[in-house]
Amino acid sequence: MKIRAIALNTFSSLLHNKLILLFCAGFVCVLLLMMTPLMLAKSMARTMNASQVQGMVLSEVSGIMSLLSGFGSLLAAWAAADAVAGEVKSGTILAVLARPVRRWEFLLGKYLGVQLLMAVYIVCTLIMTYFLAGIGGQSIQSNPLPLVVYPLVRYAVYSAIAMLLVTRLHPVVAFGIVLVIAVVIGMVGPSAGQSSFLPAWLRSGLYFLLPSTGLLSETRFLTITQADLKPVAWSSHAIALAYGLDYALICFLLAAWLFQRRSLSRE
Amino acid sequence: MTTAAIEFHNVSKTYQRRFSEERIEALADVSFEVMPGEVCAFLGPNGAGKTTSISILMGFLFADAGDIRVLGYAPGDVRAKAQIGFLPENFAFYKFLTGPALLRFHMALAGIPGSQADNLIGELLAKVRLHGYESLRIGKYSRGMAQRLGLAQALMTNPQLLVLDEPTSGLDPAGRKEVLDLLTALKSAGKTVFLSSHILPEVEQICDRVVIIDRGRLVRAGPLREMLVSNDRVGIVVDRLPEDVALMAVQRGAAIERGEHGLRISIDAAHKREITELLWNAGCDVISLNPVKSSLEELFLQTVKDHEGAQ
Repeated sequence: MKIRAIALNTFSSLLHNKLILLFCAGFVCVLLLMMTPLMLAKSMARTMNASQVQGMVLSEVSGIMSLLSGFGSLLAAWAAADAVAGEVKSGTILAVLARPVRRWEFLLGKYLGVQLLMAVYIVCTLIMTYFLAGIGGQSIQSNPLPLVVYPLVRYAVYSAIAMLLVTRLHPVVAFGIVLVIAVVIGMVGPSAGQSSFLPAWLRSGLYFLLPSTGLLSETRFLTITQADLKPVAWSSHAIALAYGLDYALICFLLAAWLFQRRSLSRE
Repeated sequence: MTTAAIEFHNVSKTYQRRFSEERIEALADVSFEVMPGEVCAFLGPNGAGKTTSISILMGFLFADAGDIRVLGYAPGDVRAKAQIGFLPENFAFYKFLTGPALLRFHMALAGIPGSQADNLIGELLAKVRLHGYESLRIGKYSRGMAQRLGLAQALMTNPQLLVLDEPTSGLDPAGRKEVLDLLTALKSAGKTVFLSSHILPEVEQICDRVVIIDRGRLVRAGPLREMLVSNDRVGIVVDRLPEDVALMAVQRGAAIERGEHGLRISIDAAHKREITELLWNAGCDVISLNPVKSSLEELFLQTVKDHEGAQ
């Protein structure tokens, strides 16, 4: 009951956050901007062959989705950092923790509130994917479940890292570190190959330490341009998702441990 | 033996600035106790360490040394927090919520079932004169309204111990009077109240015990009644005062003023016998002779001044 109340209050609080509202406005702008080329593609359907049009539309949609997925990771990190730091800075945390609420319960409520926001974000993204493809006269045949679960786990990892960092650091610094981590992950993953300037020992060390968001990416088995899922065994999905949840859990437990001994003052 | 509601034993706390060697001693070896059912005023000038002490008491900050017990538990223990009503200094709130929504949120945290919430919210809002503002967002509240809402959330669970940091801050005189009446009612109901305030004449009316700190050190602590009584001076009330006796009294450092029941002579206790005998011999009717009581404000200012002098 306590954790649920904190989670719902956090969700409500995030929906009233000016930065997040700005982000949502940006989201709507992207939607409106992307409608034009897609409508154009639909109008060209009479002059071009069907497969060309399909490829064009789906590659456009895929590009937007990648962009929104990246934004989602940043949103998850910022929301998690701000949800905790904002309460400490404003002092609202004092009245909450004066209630019979343990610190880890407070943190878990905050974390679940952020996940609720990200779930809404994913549903909006998914609706947008189908909507934009529909505008272009195409349809996506893939099962929507992996498109919901994979981003949710990925965002859970990013928000847990941000929450861990913000228990000790300023939210902007915590967010910046998450941003750097996101960039470094791309540089040390197997897809980066040998082109990275980092020495091999550092690359492999970072690869094991940082979360493998490549593994948690739906693009591993889904290519929107082909409008269908690549066949992947259910055990592969389970292992990948369990890995992500495990990483998020460890980060959250570390955050709860650090938060337990943190002084709570407005200064 | 009754367990104290609040126990502070040799509590010390030092702040260290990040990336600096500078250390600020916020509390040094502070000890005091508050017994159940007492109203205790926690006084001190700005920066004395009051809010730090209250934060340690509530488990928001951690003491470097010392032992603290609240209702028999360590600070921050949920069993203690379930019996505490807390009003922080400058109560902060979720601006997007309405008053009833904030109280409902706190009730959920306190484990009060939703079925009881609506009636309780109505009662609380009426008690703090916020009925009629149910649909107004807290962001639109005046400071006084926010403070009254803070009091409502502190009283919500009918707590055994109330910890109030500046409860009358931001309130108009009528609002302050209401808070005092509320605190008097809580005292009558046997609740323990630990409050910090700068409005001493009002605090004096209701508190049983006073704890004064200055620059992180305990300066004085004890029952208010004992602290206000001065052993150095006495007050003699007489029906009339002949000029020659008045002159002698003034020469011995007396202050004379007209009171409700006659003339009041305030004089050093060393001269009380001599002046009283002179008054009797002059045929004056000595109505009363009592030790002089100073006000809490005078006591506080004198205590802080003495402490500063000693430093």
